[in-house]
Order: sequence, then structure tokens, then C-alpha cells
Amino acid sequence: MTDEPAPESSAHTRRTVLKSTAAAAAGTVVASHHTSVASAETAHTGGARTRVTLSVNGERHRIAIEPRVTLLDALRDRLGLTGTKKGCDRGECGACTVLADGERIKSCLTLAVMRQGAEITTVEGLTRGDDLHPVQEAFIRHDAFQCGACTPGQIMSAVACIDEGHAGSEAEIREWMSGNLCRCAAYQNIVAAVADAAEEGRR
Amino acid sequence: MREIEQSWVGGSRPRFDTAGRVRGMIAHVGDQAVGAAAHVAVHRATQPHARIEAVHVDEALAMPGVYGVVTGADLYKQLGDRLLTGPAFADQPALAHEKVRYVGEPVAAVLAADLATARAATDAIWVDYEDLPPVYDLADALAGTAYVHDELRPSSVFGDLKHLRGVRDTNVNYTYNLRTGDAEAARDAGAHTVTGEFWAPPTHHVPIELPCTIAWVDSGRLEMLTTTQTPSYVRQTIADLLDLPLSRVRVTTRPLGGSFGAKMYDRLEPLAAALAWTAGRRVRVTATREEAFLLTTRHGAAVSSSLTADAEGNLVSSVADVRYDTGAYADVGPRITAKSGMVAPGPYRIANARVLSRCVYTNKPSAGPFRGFGVPQVTWSHESLIDELAHELGEDPYAFRRRHLLREGDEAPMGTRMHSADFVGCLDAVANAIGWFDPLDRGTGRIRRGRGVAVGVKAVLTPTIANAVLQLNQDNSATLLISTVDMGQGSDTIMAQIAADVLRMDSRRIHVVRADTDATPYDTITAGSRSTYHTGNAVRRVAEAMRDKLIGLAAERFGVPAEEVSLTPDGPRAGSHEVTVAELVHGHFGARGATLTTEANYTSSWTPYDKETGRSDKVTEHWFAGAVGARIAVDTATGRVRIEHLAVAGDVGRAINPTLVEQQLSGAAIMGIGHALFDQLVLDQGQLINGTLLDYQLPSIRDLPDQLTPIVVESPHDDGPFGAKGVGETGILGVAPAIANAVRDAVGVRLTRLPLTPESITMALEENQ
Ligand code: FES
Ligand code: FES
Repeated sequence: MTDEPAPESSAHTRRTVLKSTAAAAAGTVVASHHTSVASAETAHTGGARTRVTLSVNGERHRIAIEPRVTLLDALRDRLGLTGTKKGCDRGECGACTVLADGERIKSCLTLAVMRQGAEITTVEGLTRGDDLHPVQEAFIRHDAFQCGACTPGQIMSAVACIDEGHAGSEAEIREWMSGNLCRCAAYQNIVAAVADAAEEGRR
Repeated sequence: MREIEQSWVGGSRPRFDTAGRVRGMIAHVGDQAVGAAAHVAVHRATQPHARIEAVHVDEALAMPGVYGVVTGADLYKQLGDRLLTGPAFADQPALAHEKVRYVGEPVAAVLAADLATARAATDAIWVDYEDLPPVYDLADALAGTAYVHDELRPSSVFGDLKHLRGVRDTNVNYTYNLRTGDAEAARDAGAHTVTGEFWAPPTHHVPIELPCTIAWVDSGRLEMLTTTQTPSYVRQTIADLLDLPLSRVRVTTRPLGGSFGAKMYDRLEPLAAALAWTAGRRVRVTATREEAFLLTTRHGAAVSSSLTADAEGNLVSSVADVRYDTGAYADVGPRITAKSGMVAPGPYRIANARVLSRCVYTNKPSAGPFRGFGVPQVTWSHESLIDELAHELGEDPYAFRRRHLLREGDEAPMGTRMHSADFVGCLDAVANAIGWFDPLDRGTGRIRRGRGVAVGVKAVLTPTIANAVLQLNQDNSATLLISTVDMGQGSDTIMAQIAADVLRMDSRRIHVVRADTDATPYDTITAGSRSTYHTGNAVRRVAEAMRDKLIGLAAERFGVPAEEVSLTPDGPRAGSHEVTVAELVHGHFGARGATLTTEANYTSSWTPYDKETGRSDKVTEHWFAGAVGARIAVDTATGRVRIEHLAVAGDVGRAINPTLVEQQLSGAAIMGIGHALFDQLVLDQGQLINGTLLDYQLPSIRDLPDQLTPIVVESPHDDGPFGAKGVGETGILGVAPAIANAVRDAVGVRLTRLPLTPESITMALEENQ
């Protein structure tokens, strides 16, 4: 359960925070109670299932899924974490970006079984209680979205981008945020939000 | 400014639910729990044009987890001709019946326990086809040897399409003619004529949220939750399809994750409704990204046109032959053909104009509404022509345009006067922004710089209908019921601002109910930038009715005439009398939590255009006016265009929320960059060959211009809510021609085919040498 919020001081320590969160996570949540929220894009029939343990936002979940199920589908359909969006399911849009041990990955391009043992952070895991993450705050300040469909992916990508030290200039942000499409094209404000959050992290 | 005033008209208050947006808590339709449902996948046609001889479904049916397989013939047995739906012509079946008309058309639907099983089962279906002669492009279609449809039936859903007639033995489903003066004679007599063969390719919307429809039957009613911009239209369509009274159909939506015209009219909804109704179970229909490319497209359009000036440099003739490729189904193509055809001459004073605008069937995925409703395609033509004419006359393209632009009160070539359409203000603003009047370092070597401008005009869809219901809660909060769908444009936010301004309350205390046809009243569509003006007017009226009600109650309570009462942010006041809204409503009902209700309507009117001349003294309720300025650098070795500065201006009448207006202008401008430089659907013999996000290039954050300047121009509309008009499309109209005109300025080549790929630029440079 998320009853062990990790202290959140600044964005650039994110990776360390994630690791300590993983270490501090206690208990295992059996995910059967989540299945009612499933939109069931994943298969319930046919192929053999395997038990998988996933650490997501500091909670451990054990679920039975087919090995072919992507991390994205496991998060959305089995754990009910629909903040991670599916824009293409082929690694092309970035809407499904999550952090695995602090590194940004496209969760549609990886299988859930391959991410056992990794500490996964989704957009739902960025907030601590009611306190938004500095990157989330910056997105609000700069109106860095319109419809919001790409926003969770943009934010997860931005958290990692800043953490990687790739948010030092506008040009750098444009380069290192280019894996996340925004069809509403709030790009100008996204650049400003990432720069602002990065700046805040350096203060 | 007090915080409360910031939440009214003119304030840039934050959108609704910004926290939800950054927390991934705005649950879209596809995020909703669906419970026990049949998941639907579709088997699609492999032939562009063929008769269906047999559909073999036994193997699919035998697969574990498959509940059933439904074909077009199965549905036709139950629904008959009602299976055919569409906003203009009832020409599109939810599943192909007897014939397939494009590669990718749904032929059979599999219902299964989960989506993966359903999708696997579609591969086990095969179909025997008897090929028919395919109609691949406009030339094939107009040659008229093979027909995509044998006969057409109008669907009569919308007021502006009332006049459609059934047609047969042609691929042209609609023709709009504009005849003002004698344009051909004026052209032949004119001193200077420029001509062009322009092409704008089909493109796709690619909203990040994929479409999804969940439909079920409850108490003998068909209910659905769906990604649509047109809930009222969908309700009517489903009622027609299933032959139910409107009261037995319920259409609900959630905020959309983008749309741009992709989620309108008949998408997944007729199929979902037909399956839920005939199978009697809850169904969930969605599409992969690759399937979404096939659901609808922007019309590819060919324009053969000319523009003529007399010896004094006055514009004397505009002639345009416009062909919209609408694909296999007309969708709203006829409306696009008329509304875009009538502005094909551009926003200029031109004495003589002749436009022939046709909507043409081909065996390709259907084309429908896309931000701009066909107008960017004709803007591509008129803004390239006038630029070229200025060059030919040795005039400055900015000044030449400015001289001829329509002013307030001027009559456009189709006969309607201009009001609240400040083309000159928009053009001046972008020209100033990009430094049109400053010296330009044009470069001498490989990199060459240039500047271009373009102006756009579009009519708002007319006539249309908007309704609003307002409940004022006793605690001085409010619930606003409208059927406008928020898809990122921020309609929920600005509608609350309009109501709050009238009621002098904090707009953050107003909740806008998501469209639900059981509760929210009829609204034509959320599209064509019509909501701010139309629904905004209904909202203004419903709030005014509420204000009057509150003032009446206060007058009674104070024992003074109503004229003496005013409404303030602290409640009604009259001299020394004062009361809060909460006390007033509590006192009136004697109960906490009670509600006062008002309702209002706003319907715009028009004079239908003459069928011979295409003219009307009021063809639209209002105009959109916009301009774009671009400063670019062309790499002459690679043909790559770098946009150094893009300025985009739109006359919005009055900005209800300036931040949201700027976002609409910049978002549209960047989408326009894609259309200018790389966006296009490539089809080979009717087969879409770049329908994935890897192959279909969209603007990314790296395509952001070095500098992007959105400019809000405000020339208030007499009848707009607080003078306001919409802005969703204004920013996209002139982007492609502004960039192409800048390329012309930089390297001296005139390109007439979009997109302006590096190859096309280097080829043109070589030819020019
Ligand atoms: S859904 Fe994973 S990149 Fe698009
Ligand atoms: S905010 Fe709509 S896609 Fe980015």
C-alpha cells in the first residue's frame, strides 16, 4: 500500500527517492480486487497464465497474466492505473511513458513479466498525498496541455529528462522530450514547464 | 483584479481540473470500467471495390472465447435500409453489406470475452469477393465509368443540408456553384492572370486518445458511452438505426483526449449500437491506432484556379474548380464542398467570381470533418495565387493583399457582408511580428531566408442550435447543463466564465455537466468553432434568466421594484437592503440545498444560398478571420525548411479566456506546420501504406518554430456573447500558404502541391536552374 510516502524534496533526486521507496515498500497487495476495473483489453482466455509480481508506486501486486501482456496493459487493465495512456501500443507516441527504476520507458514496448523486480512509477505515483510533484505544478503553471491525453506521458518523461540532466536549455529540452507526441501541440508551454521545473530543481 | 473577476470573461483563469490533467485522473472513455462485456474486433476489407460473395466465419466462431460473429448481411436482415447512416447521405453501413468500397472497410465483427481473442478471431475470417472496377482517384471518379454508389438517399438530419437530392450514375454527390458577375469574361479581358493547379493531400487527425464506444441495453433502451463531439447527432442516428423514439436512446461522453473532427458523426457508434441491440449484450468497441487511420480522414483536394488583375492592379476575376475527394462515403463532404467552395476566392474585394466545387466519391477511406472543414485546402489555392500575382505585378505581397482585403461592411463574392472580421488587423499584426518591414539577411550561400504571409476566411456553420439549462444551487454554486464536449479546447472553462460573469459569481463554483442526452439539452455539434458563439450565447441567456429570477426574488424580499435591485458578487443589493444568494434562495424555498432552474436557447439563422449562383445575403452567422506570417530558412542543398518565426493571428471578437485562445491559435498553427511540410496519407491502389505513427509524420516538439507568436485580435461581434466568437480553426487556415510564400520569397520557386517535402523543394530548385 502507499502508506509509506517517500519525502519529496526536489526533482533531481527522483531516482534515489524511487529506490528508497522500493526498499521501504512493505507488504504485497493481491490484485484480485482490481480486476473489476479492468477494461479487459488483455486476454482472459486461451494461453497459459503466469504469476507476476509488480512493484508499482511503492505497492507490490501479484497478478496472473499471460506472458505476452505488456506492462501497459497490466497497469491499465489489471491494476486499474489508467493514468498511463495508450495512444498507439507500438512505441510511437510516448503516451504510455512510465519510470522503471527511475528510467523512462514506454510501457507498451515491454512485457510485464520482464519488469518484475523493477520499481515502476506511474503518474499516479508522483503525488504525495495532495502535494503535486514539481513537474506537475510546472505543467499547471504553464498550461502545458489542452486535452490532457498525452500529459501523463509528458510528465513522466519530463521527470526523467530533468533527472538525466537533459533539461539544461530549451534546445536540449526539445531534443530530449521529442519522444512524446502532443497532438494538441502544447509544445511551447511544455518546453516552458520543463525548463521551469528543471530550474526549480537546481535552486 | 480581484480573484473573482479573474474567473469572469476576459480572465485567464486555469482550466477545469488542471490537477486531474496532471495526475492522469481525467478518465477518458477507454479508461472506464466496463464490467462483463463482449469485446469487439472487426475484420476489414482487403479489396477497394468488390461484391461480397460469401463471408466465412465458422473457424472464428469455433475459437474459444468467441461469443459470436456478425456480418453486414446479418445486420441488414434485422435493420434493413436503416443500416445505412450518415450526416448528409444515408450511404454508410456499420458493416459492409453486399459491396465493399474501400480497403479497410468493416466487413464482420467478432464479439469475444476479451479484445485479444476478438482480434485473433478476425484473422480466421475470410471473404470471397468478386472484384469491381476500382475508382482510385479524382480523375478516375470524374471519368465516370465506374460508380462507387449506385444510388443515394439523403439523410435529412441537419438544417443546412435539407436541400440534398438523391442522385445516381455519378460519383459526384454534391456540387456547389458560385456565380458572381462574369468571371470568365473578366479573366479573358484582364491584364494580368496567374493560374495554378493546387493539391492538398488527405491527412489524418491523430488525436492521442483512441476512439472507444461502450453500448448496452437497459430497460429496453439503448445506452452508450462514447468518444464523440456530436452526442445529439449520435442520438438521432441511433434512434433512426434502431427505429426507437429519442427517449429510448442515451448517449453520454467523457472529456475527449483530442479529436479535431475525428470523433464526429458515424464512427464506432452505429456498429456498437447495432451489436448491443441485436446481441442484447454490453459491447465495447475500440480501434487500434492503425484502424483509427481508416475511420476518417481530411479531404484530399485539387483546385484549378486563376486570379486576374486589371491594368490598375484591381482584382477583377477569381475562377476556381475545386474537387474534394470524399472517399467511399460522403460523411459531411457536401457541407464542406459548399462552405469551402464559397470562400475559394479568398477574403478579397473581387468583382467577378466563379467557383465550381464538387464532392467526389472514390474507393478510399471516407473523408469527413477536420479542423478547418475544407477551408485550408482552398486557402492553399487563393493565398498562393494572390502572392504570385503580387510578384508578377512587382508589388509587395503584404501591401497588395492589404489593399484588396475585405473591410467591415464589405460584401464578399458570395454576397454576404463582413462584420467582426478584421483581416487587416490580423495581417498587420503578423507582418509586424515577423519583422516584415525590417531588413532581412537573406543569406548568400546554401541557407536562404524568406518571409511570407497568408490570410484566411471561414464561415461558421449556420444555422445551428444550442440550448442550456442552469441550476443555481442554494449555496450559490451552479450546475450548467450543455451538450458541448470538452476535448481540450476548454469549453467547460469558458462556458462557466460566461455564466459567472453574468451572475457575478466565482466561475470555479460552476460545474459543467458532461454531455448526457438524458440530461443535457440538444446542441447541433461541438465543431466548426461554433460553440463559443452559439452555446456561449445560450449560456449567456440562461444566466441572464437566472439573474432576472434572483433579482425578482430579491425585489419581493426587499419590497422594492426590480429595477432598483442589482446583483453584486456579495449578493443582491437595493439601497440599504442586502442579502446573500444563499439566504435569498433559502428564504424562498425554506430549505437548504434547493435549486432554481432556468433554460435558454440560441438558434442562428441564414438565408440559404441560391442553388444557381451560390449567393446569399446571409450565408453565415459570423466569420472567422485569421492571418499567418512566417520567416523561414531554406537549406538549398537538402530542401529542408526551418521556421525561424511563425506568427498567427485570429480575430476572436472578444477573448473569453486569453490563455486558452492563445493555446488554440498555437496548437492550430503547429498542426498547420505538419500539413505544410510533411503530413500526408499515402495510398497506393486504394491501400493506405503509411497508416502507423512511425510512417505517418506528425509535428513533434522538435518542429516547434524557433519562435511562435500567437496574437489575439479582438473586433467584437454585435451578437456574440460579450462580443466573442470561436477560434479552434482560425489558426490553421493560412499556415501552409504562408510557409510556401516564404519559400517563394527565399528561393524563387512556387510550389503548388502539399506537403512541401525536402524532395519537392530540391527538385523545384533544380528545374529552376
Ligand atoms: S502507447 Fe506506448 S508509445 Fe504509444
Ligand atoms: S494535450 Fe492533447 S495531446 Fe497533448
